[in-house]
Amino acid sequence: MKRLLVIAIVFTSATAWAHKPSDAHLRLAVSGETLSGRLDIAVRDLDGALGLDGDLDGTVTWRELTTAAPRIAAYVESRLAIAGDGAPCPLALGAPALTDLSDGAYWAVPITARCPRAPEALTFSYRLLFDVDAQHRGLVHVADQTLILRDGTPVRAQLDETTSFGTFVLEGVWHIWIGFDHILFLVCLILPAVFPRRGGRWQPAESLREVGREVLEIVTAFTLAHSITLVISTVGLVSLPSRFIETAIAASVVAAAANNLVRGIDARWAVAFALGLLHGFGFSSVLLDLGLPSDQLVGSLLGFNLGVELGQLAIVMVTLPLLYWIRRTLAYQAILWAGSSAVALLGLVWTYERFVA
Amino acid sequence: MKGTRRKLVVLGLGAVGLAGALTLAAFVAPSRNAAAAATYVPTDGAQVIARVPVRDAGELAARRSLASSPERVELAVELARADIRRYRAESDPRYLGRAQATLARWWDLAEPPADVLLVRATIRQSLHDFTGARGDLDRLVALRPDDAQAHLTRAVVATVSGDYVRARESCAAAGRMLGMLVAASCDAPLDGIAGHADTAYARLSTTLAQSRRAARELRGWALTALAELAIMRGQTDAAALHLRAALALDADDTYARNLLADVLLATHHAAEVSSLLAGRESVDSHLVRLAIAEHQTRGARETATTRAMRERIEAAALRGDRVHLREEAMFALAVESDAPRALKLARDNWNVQKELADARLLAETAVAANDPDAAAPVIAWARKTSVRDAWLERSLTQLGVTR
Repeated sequence: MKRLLVIAIVFTSATAWAHKPSDAHLRLAVSGETLSGRLDIAVRDLDGALGLDGDLDGTVTWRELTTAAPRIAAYVESRLAIAGDGAPCPLALGAPALTDLSDGAYWAVPITARCPRAPEALTFSYRLLFDVDAQHRGLVHVADQTLILRDGTPVRAQLDETTSFGTFVLEGVWHIWIGFDHILFLVCLILPAVFPRRGGRWQPAESLREVGREVLEIVTAFTLAHSITLVISTVGLVSLPSRFIETAIAASVVAAAANNLVRGIDARWAVAFALGLLHGFGFSSVLLDLGLPSDQLVGSLLGFNLGVELGQLAIVMVTLPLLYWIRRTLAYQAILWAGSSAVALLGLVWTYERFVA
Repeated sequence: MKGTRRKLVVLGLGAVGLAGALTLAAFVAPSRNAAAAATYVPTDGAQVIARVPVRDAGELAARRSLASSPERVELAVELARADIRRYRAESDPRYLGRAQATLARWWDLAEPPADVLLVRATIRQSLHDFTGARGDLDRLVALRPDDAQAHLTRAVVATVSGDYVRARESCAAAGRMLGMLVAASCDAPLDGIAGHADTAYARLSTTLAQSRRAARELRGWALTALAELAIMRGQTDAAALHLRAALALDADDTYARNLLADVLLATHHAAEVSSLLAGRESVDSHLVRLAIAEHQTRGARETATTRAMRERIEAAALRGDRVHLREEAMFALAVESDAPRALKLARDNWNVQKELADARLLAETAVAANDPDAAAPVIAWARKTSVRDAWLERSLTQLGVTR
């Protein structure tokens, strides 16, 4: 009895198709001179254009659809034309299937187009459905753009190869340099490295190498942790609310600064790792805002991450020698104590603001 | 060196974890970003793939005649009107596109035949092209001063656009031709906005009581107008009563149903909203209120309803539509708790339409986003019109506006 109920509910919600204006989707990937992808047209719209409901009972069955398949193919072929740099790219339609979108079932037909040479720009002449539904829109998804085709006038898409790796690296560098919360977190963790605890007492470090090793551990731990969460968050495997993440990142800055004041945890690499996981989520939201090319996702992820590491490295390479140089001075102590206090305070303000926002 | 080993283990695991994440990304990412839904091939020929509007013989014949004689505007107008009726009954925007396509031959003319003007204005109104609609209607009433429907439509569009002078003109004209109930219902929102909700309410309820034989649509409209006045007076119980009566007359009255949902949400009866809107998720304006109700009752931000709503918003953005700015703003404010975005949407919405609901929304989002300056247009409007509305007053007080 319970099982029947569940099925009934599922069936009911499945029939609540959205009432939305008419769209068709043409998705194409460009590979040299070949374009390949799929065209999705709502079955309901095809009925409006071609009359698929053979028995006029208000429904289109699979049989009625397959019977009409040649007519549909002819309709598409006569009203869709793609040109690459002005030269026609003949279309070939494959075996159609169905797909379900929010407003019902769509006719999904694979499309290939072969251009005479690898195009730099594509021109789409799309004339489907406008004569039966003036609000229909043809949406062409190609080369990370979406073109809106609305009345049969040809539309041009520039194919830009260079949404490049380099751009993402630079974005990564930029975003860590303007990410004061990330920088302060890292700097707070590094600060005590030049004045470590040995045998229960704090003393200035003896060698740059020993300092360097500890800082390397901290930075590596931070890098690994935020890289992991950057990746899994960007691809959507894990998704945390941004208000929570931003507040937590601010709190992590407080934690890192406070750790310097109370000298609680010496294994700051562990702090860097544990709290670094949070920072990765923060970077991810920045990266997602930049917009990711769908066919170069891993590349752009790596590029951005590399940029973050390079930026981080630059900051460390500047701060560390300076800190080492002044480690025996009062100035260092002032920076360590007053600086950490100031950062802790700033972190508290951020935490409050981000929590309340 | 236990510490070192532990360090190495953790960092080693971290490196492995990163490698794993990247590998997963390479597999998962394409399916997430490619955004092409999975395909399937049915095996049963009798499986219903889509429900389509039934083509009745009369309509098919009319379309065939129109195809062979495309200059027969009266056929086209009749077919378009039928589609607009279907749009009103089902709230399905595809019918608007169909109606527009039927009138394609005359659509871009500055001076089409008068019948076309009215239908074109109605379609434009539904697509929220109020400027276009007003142009058509002004022209139409100049051509046909005795067209009551034209005046009625003009009154509504003018009210939505904040042009109260023209709205009153047309209300008076329509009232002269169609009677007191039409006059009172048409004037009701205008009087309410002018700060006379009490007298307007008295007038309309008396007139309605005396118009028991009036057509259902008219009575439904009057009841909805009465409900809006009741809300302005802070009488949400009375409003709910009137709206339920309107829905009893016409269960497909989307406007009344949405207004009732708003009343229930404002009076903390969110649970009732779910039953009120059950089975009507197809309609965007209903879906958003369902999502808000779910959020209020369950604190839910990630449900099937909210996912569906986000899909709709994305689909509209993809095609460049901005028809549902009000609903998007409501969703951003109430469910996503994104006050700045809600405010931006509310401001964009105010540029398009200036009903009381839009004023309330702009004021509310300005409060939520802690940006009183953004509410300046609403404050100016409230001062100019002398409107007194219970819900708007709350926001205005929070904005520090003294009256």
